[in-house]
Amino acid sequence: MKKSGLSPILNYNINTPIVFVAIVLFFIIFTPNHLFIDLRNLASMGKLIPDLGIVALGVGMLMICGEFDLSIASLIPLCSYVFATFLMKGINPALALIILLPVGAALGFINGTIVVKTGLPSFIITLSTMMFWRGVVFILSRMAPISITKYIKPYPYFEKMLTGTIGRFPLQVIWFVGIAIILGILLHFTKFGNWIFATGSSKGAARAMGINTNMVKTTCYIIIGVLCAVVGTLQSVRLGSFFATQGVGFELKTIAAAVVGGTSLRGGVGSMLNIFLGILIIKIIENGLILMKVPVFGVEAFIGLAIILFVIINNFTQRQMT
Amino acid sequence: MSSNESNSNSKELLRMAGINKYFGKVHALEDIDFKINETENVGLVGDNGAGKSTLIKIISGYHRAERGQIYFEGKKVRISSPKDSRALGIETVYQEQALAPDLSISRNVFMGREPATALGFLRKRVMDEESMDALKSIGLQLRSPNINISTLSGGEKQGVAIARAFHFEAKLVILDEPTMALSVKEVREVFNFVNQLKRKGIAVIFITHNLHHVFTISDRIVVLSHGKKLVDIKKKDTNVDELSEIIVRGTIG
Repeated sequence: MKKSGLSPILNYNINTPIVFVAIVLFFIIFTPNHLFIDLRNLASMGKLIPDLGIVALGVGMLMICGEFDLSIASLIPLCSYVFATFLMKGINPALALIILLPVGAALGFINGTIVVKTGLPSFIITLSTMMFWRGVVFILSRMAPISITKYIKPYPYFEKMLTGTIGRFPLQVIWFVGIAIILGILLHFTKFGNWIFATGSSKGAARAMGINTNMVKTTCYIIIGVLCAVVGTLQSVRLGSFFATQGVGFELKTIAAAVVGGTSLRGGVGSMLNIFLGILIIKIIENGLILMKVPVFGVEAFIGLAIILFVIINNFTQRQMT
Repeated sequence: MSSNESNSNSKELLRMAGINKYFGKVHALEDIDFKINETENVGLVGDNGAGKSTLIKIISGYHRAERGQIYFEGKKVRISSPKDSRALGIETVYQEQALAPDLSISRNVFMGREPATALGFLRKRVMDEESMDALKSIGLQLRSPNINISTLSGGEKQGVAIARAFHFEAKLVILDEPTMALSVKEVREVFNFVNQLKRKGIAVIFITHNLHHVFTISDRIVVLSHGKKLVDIKKKDTNVDELSEIIVRGTIG
């Protein structure tokens, strides 16, 4: 009765780690001079991947409970703008970040409340809020970047904590892995995590058993909002500036990462570890192809192909199981 | 036709008196009196729209009656939510609705009532052991608590839902169309589980369209039609044909 890919006993999809290892080996072998495994390349990836990765973890978790959030693409620059504004007003960056977290939470709460109260498809709702907030950011910032380097300089510890390195090892990776572990524990080992899976797998059953599915969904949106605040800050500190175009494209890339990580579009199925690996797989393919001097347009095409392949494989192995 | 004599062997468990329910202008339930004793198995039948679903939703706390009283174990009670109903010891097993297909048996049995530490961490070992015990208690043998519900047969799924009700020490279990879309063998399995419930002293309300099933499993049969109670009769005082005639006519013949 056991088929490859999905172990019915553990409920864990092993396609993703298998592909991860395969892709890593592939690029180690085939990039010119094995550049892929060069420490400078790894460090560079370590700085860039968490921007997408941190928020993708939250997006994946939301998909497990059955909803989507496209607005992250605009919440990130919005939070970054608010952060820059706080800095310009003379607020200590660490304090600014702390105040920003509940702001992100509030933005997530708005998304969650609209989704839950209207009962309309979250894909459409968050598409709308994405467009709305991006408009707000464009108007407020007048499309002009805001340099924040001079506000960060007096606080070297802040910059080190967020974007510093230990040797070559970028600290962003620690934030990324730390958040992945926390969310993973929440998802797989707590009551609330069971509620997330139950809500995504069968909202009707979850409600019949007394789970407040509205609260579960809204909480997932709030978590995403907080993650957007974190990423908005991380990104702008790393870049030294706020840009109104931060986060563009993230709305689909995060979903793609989750799907590559075996998350079902219907909800109820997924694993934080696999979402983490899915993020890595997508970014590694991007990085590896660039190192192999594949033209930029080609990279996008490859990633698109990879995603389609994944959906088909995951669907197939899931069907084998039932 | 009504037989209100109580079963002299057991005490009254649930009594609903003068229940009226409106949905807007629709009078969904009209002056319904309904009673069930401990360890009794009552079959609730009637065609679609008769009010069976509405009646049990009132018992399980999803709806509230506009008029009427509910007594549980002799005391007057208010059932304002599913939580209230469960707290009294009433468990409802919904057709198709009660189980999450992507979750394991263990996670399904404890859905919404997970045993956890103070911080919210699942007590997985407790969940696994107790869910297997509950299955065994109703006679269902399954390999492991971690297999997905979606891999189980229809009869096994009903078994898990019934085992769940059993585990939470229900005094009254309501089964909403438990044998719908099941094979003959699976129906027999479900009857075995239901009989186990009776052996453990649990009262059962068994809702179905299928009169033959109701005659196999129930002690007493209540027929609803267009929101009114048509018949409340012991199985031994009637037969399938007679009851079928009454239902079709929608009136006492």
